Amino acid sequence: QYVPVKGDHVIGIVTIKAGDIFKVDVGGSEQASLSYLAFEGATKRNRPNVQVGDLIYGQFIVANKDMEPEMVCIDSSGRANGMGVIGHEGLLFKVSLGLIRKLLTPNCEIIQELGQLYPFEIVFGMNGRIWVKAKTIQQTLIVANILEACEHMTAEQRMQAFAKLSER
Amino acid sequence: MTKHVTEACRDECLAGLGRAWWTWYADTGSVGVGGGRARHRANQGLLSTPAQLPVVSVVRDVESQLLPNVGAIVTCKVCSINSRFAKVRILYIGSTPLKSTFRGTIRREDSTSCAPCQVEVYKSFRPGDIVLAKVISLGDMQSNYLLSTAENELGVVVAHSEAVAQMVPISWCEMQCPKTHSKELRKVARVQPEFLQT
Repeated sequence: QYVPVKGDHVIGIVTIKAGDIFKVDVGGSEQASLSYLAFEGATKRNRPNVQVGDLIYGQFIVANKDMEPEMVCIDSSGRANGMGVIGHEGLLFKVSLGLIRKLLTPNCEIIQELGQLYPFEIVFGMNGRIWVKAKTIQQTLIVANILEACEHMTAEQRMQAFAKLSER
Repeated sequence: MTKHVTEACRDECLAGLGRAWWTWYADTGSVGVGGGRARHRANQGLLSTPAQLPVVSVVRDVESQLLPNVGAIVTCKVCSINSRFAKVRILYIGSTPLKSTFRGTIRREDSTSCAPCQVEVYKSFRPGDIVLAKVISLGDMQSNYLLSTAENELGVVVAHSEAVAQMVPISWCEMQCPKTHSKELRKVARVQPEFLQT
């Protein structure tokens, strides 16, 4: 179970669009609220194009055990910095929180090796969610399966799996 | 005939009960009070002519409840907080405990006398705190009492830290836990001079 922490970047799914705010499911005990003004270049006239069911990559600005968490899609200087609505293609899947932290260490081997296999786009959410998009659906699924299996595989097993895949 | 009776009932009820909810059952000629137990006493001449208006009084089974007035200092416990306000339950009015608690709201802008933009509810109150506040509005049927802590003598009196120890106030905005020595932010009420031990 994920516990929201201030400053964490997470992937959320928009569940409710209510006037000024969106409710976003981040996998915690409560849904986070996201104001429509918390996007780059958003004003009261220029509303962001967010629908129910969209994937959002954002960070928490308020996250404590007494209140409902609040998230935004801009950083402290007002720029998006990679945050915002994630595109409609690609695949979202869940892994354990520990694996996410392992994958986010600098120069993680798994990601480098995967990168040599196929080019792909990847977004990590600290709430255990990963979004992947590669050129074809098959490649996307392969990347997703490898990441999910990395939890249980040792480094050798991983090398073997990569070797098999790169032969193809 | 029934119309005269019910208008008299309504005036009587509104005068006597303050905020308590009431309904009246026009066809049976009895008066009921929502949220409490009440009997009615009515003159026997209910079917008399409009010239003789019957007197109906509502007598509650329990002794009369003290109600918060505007300007009263109340002691309340914080139930939940929000980024805009804190919801509280009013436990004592002055020094009399209440039999049934009322609900109150302390808005962000009423929690201190500083500018509202600098105030954060999370840094003023937490759930479980005991707070001294003043009633600024009775609200209407649906909303709660509106309370304010915008004075030096109002604010958090008793608070427990994350380590579940009662904290000691060290300034108007900080309290310290005696076990872990960590400081937590609250809007602290100034201790009355007669209660200070020197």
